[in-house]
Amino acid sequence: MTILLNAENVSVHAGAEQLVEPVSLALRAGRPFTILGETGSGKSLLAQAIVGTLPDGLRASGQVTLDGHALDLARPGGHRALWGRVIGVLPQEPWLSLDPLMKARAQVAEGHALVRGLSWEDAGTAADRDLAELGLDGAGDRRPDQLSGGMAQRVAFAAARAAGARIVVADEPTKGLDVARRDDVIELLMREVREGGALLTITHDLALARRMGGDLAVVLKGRVVERGPADQVLTNPQHDYTRRLIAADPSSWPQGLRRPPKGAPVLSARDLSVTRGGKRLFEGLDIDLHPGEIVGIWGPSGCGKSTLGDILLGLAHPDRGTVTRCAGIAPVRFQKLYQDPPSAFPRHIRLGQALDDLVRLHGLNAARIPGLMERLRLSPILLSRRPTGVSGGELQRLALLRVLLLDPVFLFADEPTSRLDLITQAEVTELLSEAARETGMALLIVSHDPDLLDRTADRVISLGTAPEGDAGTPRGVPRAGGGERLRDRVALV
Amino acid sequence: MSAITTDIPVTARSGWTRTQWAGTAILMLIVAFALLAPILFPADPLRQSLRNILGGPDAASPLGYDHLGRSLTARLAAALRLSLWIAAAAVVTSAVLGMAVGVLAAWRGGWVDRLAALLADSFLALPGLLMVLIVSAIVPSTPLAFWIGLTLVLWIEYFRLTRATVSRLIVAPGVQASRLLGFGPVYIFRRHLWPELAPMLLTVAAFGAATAIMTIAALGFVSVGMRPPTPELGLMMVEMLPYYREAPMALLTPVLATFLTLLGLNLIAGGRRA
Repeated sequence: MTILLNAENVSVHAGAEQLVEPVSLALRAGRPFTILGETGSGKSLLAQAIVGTLPDGLRASGQVTLDGHALDLARPGGHRALWGRVIGVLPQEPWLSLDPLMKARAQVAEGHALVRGLSWEDAGTAADRDLAELGLDGAGDRRPDQLSGGMAQRVAFAAARAAGARIVVADEPTKGLDVARRDDVIELLMREVREGGALLTITHDLALARRMGGDLAVVLKGRVVERGPADQVLTNPQHDYTRRLIAADPSSWPQGLRRPPKGAPVLSARDLSVTRGGKRLFEGLDIDLHPGEIVGIWGPSGCGKSTLGDILLGLAHPDRGTVTRCAGIAPVRFQKLYQDPPSAFPRHIRLGQALDDLVRLHGLNAARIPGLMERLRLSPILLSRRPTGVSGGELQRLALLRVLLLDPVFLFADEPTSRLDLITQAEVTELLSEAARETGMALLIVSHDPDLLDRTADRVISLGTAPEGDAGTPRGVPRAGGGERLRDRVALV
Repeated sequence: MSAITTDIPVTARSGWTRTQWAGTAILMLIVAFALLAPILFPADPLRQSLRNILGGPDAASPLGYDHLGRSLTARLAAALRLSLWIAAAAVVTSAVLGMAVGVLAAWRGGWVDRLAALLADSFLALPGLLMVLIVSAIVPSTPLAFWIGLTLVLWIEYFRLTRATVSRLIVAPGVQASRLLGFGPVYIFRRHLWPELAPMLLTVAAFGAATAIMTIAALGFVSVGMRPPTPELGLMMVEMLPYYREAPMALLTPVLATFLTLLGLNLIAGGRRA
């Protein structure tokens, strides 16, 4: 197999600090290469160093050979002539990288005309051909806001390759996409590989790494801790970190014990119907939540998962239907955990102060805090920091602590782990279900990950959306998974 | 519990820039002069003396004397005190009014919001100077008229800023979480809204004070503001204008004082870290 890209001893420094330790890797035609690591591990920096797009202030060193062109990374600028022609980048969340005012066809044609030097007429024809190949016939006249997320991604892909780049670097290609959309992206990337291109994928998504196959490098704190053929690394991991990473994937979690509902429901909803923006999200939905029960809500983005939880909490109102709380329970015992933990705390005050405020307001027993901190594996030093100085996982656990102080009977967790890394996600989810079981609070947990819910919840409510009007739907609204108009209340197993 | 909390202020200012310090220093000098001059050089700013007409600096008045032989030191200090007082009062009342209406509008939404926006837009339709003039035609006392008129001009900016900021914050998860935890509006204002509003208010307040001082001086200069013989910056300029040949310093003194005050305020307002 031809080597299209060969990188030797690539490292990244910020001043005197080494952010990425020297790495060598080779991309072969027809074989994907995946770099797997969590947020902040330096995986994106490594790719940026290879492509020559490091932000100012960072310094790369090492040698890269791109399709026969040798480049010294310590001297930036050599890459420019190769961008687009030899190496192309599929950016993170590509719908943000497209020109919002430009039609899809023109965005692709630009590459053909300005980089390859075709006449605008030929470039337009070439762009149409590219789009048609990717199944985007007729989408050429739409602006990015008229494209779905998956379509925008394909347009960005066509634009990245327009000038003939055979080496494609995909930076977190599945970020912000739900499961159905993820499969489309993988298919798109694999097609490129089958046609003899080289592909470097950077991801934190274990499922993506598994599906891509080829070679895999696992990055931890700027260092490649393990590498080899993907199937080998993933089935027989050697390094402790890789093992923990694989164990933290929801699909390899142990199956939690399912409990039948017990006792009188703390919260019941009858005949809920909701329409948002002219779209019927669900109708005729009945829910009962019992003490200590864990109920999952699954569905693609935009299907009304969060809305349902907010309605149950009384934060939003349904078009029709009623929500009844068990009588005699204080309103503050119905609580919520947020998707983005930093935004759930007052931004400018110390976390300890925020807890102190809560204790004073409700006359709570502050002596419980140290015990809970220990139980949630939180260091007391975190209390002296502001929300911005604490990691997402710690902050989500602090949010859980804050809620637990009020002895909740119902907790709505709105995608509580979707912004967290795999290992942190496993920890937080485990603590959440333990809290539900121990304190007898009903837990309603939203996720887009069916495996996570399958392993955690007693039963899962699955929300779907109508597939009509796909072409103009905003990104993230699923096309696949659709035929079913509405699948409400699908009990698991 | 108090073991955990520290007594560091809630809105710890994240450092002033050098520009802002310079502005503060200039303003402090002006304020110090306005307050200390009557003690160091006691003189009645209205007392005329034919012996001192257009007199140069002496020990009793380092800034000299005007065309009626009044102490320019005493008059400048009195004029500055007047302008600064009115500006400060107008800034405080307009900030309180604007923020109260802004928070209310953003919080309640609906017709409250529409009504408040309509009110602000109608005030905005009138030029600021005209507004102050209209009020001074109704209210007998000129300083009181300035105060009310300037408040009516300045509150709109606080209102708009507060409304825009609060309507964004009020729907954010942080505020929703605090409500679910049982906290009331006062807490939400103190912990969520005020820390975001405070740094912006400083800027608006400094600009507002500058606008107020300029308005008072401008109206005085065209003889529709304070009435003689009250010492006022604009009036002093126009009174000394005919004597610019004989006593150029007497004309320049109020001009310079106005300039430095506005410079100080603008440095404070504009010197924020980007």
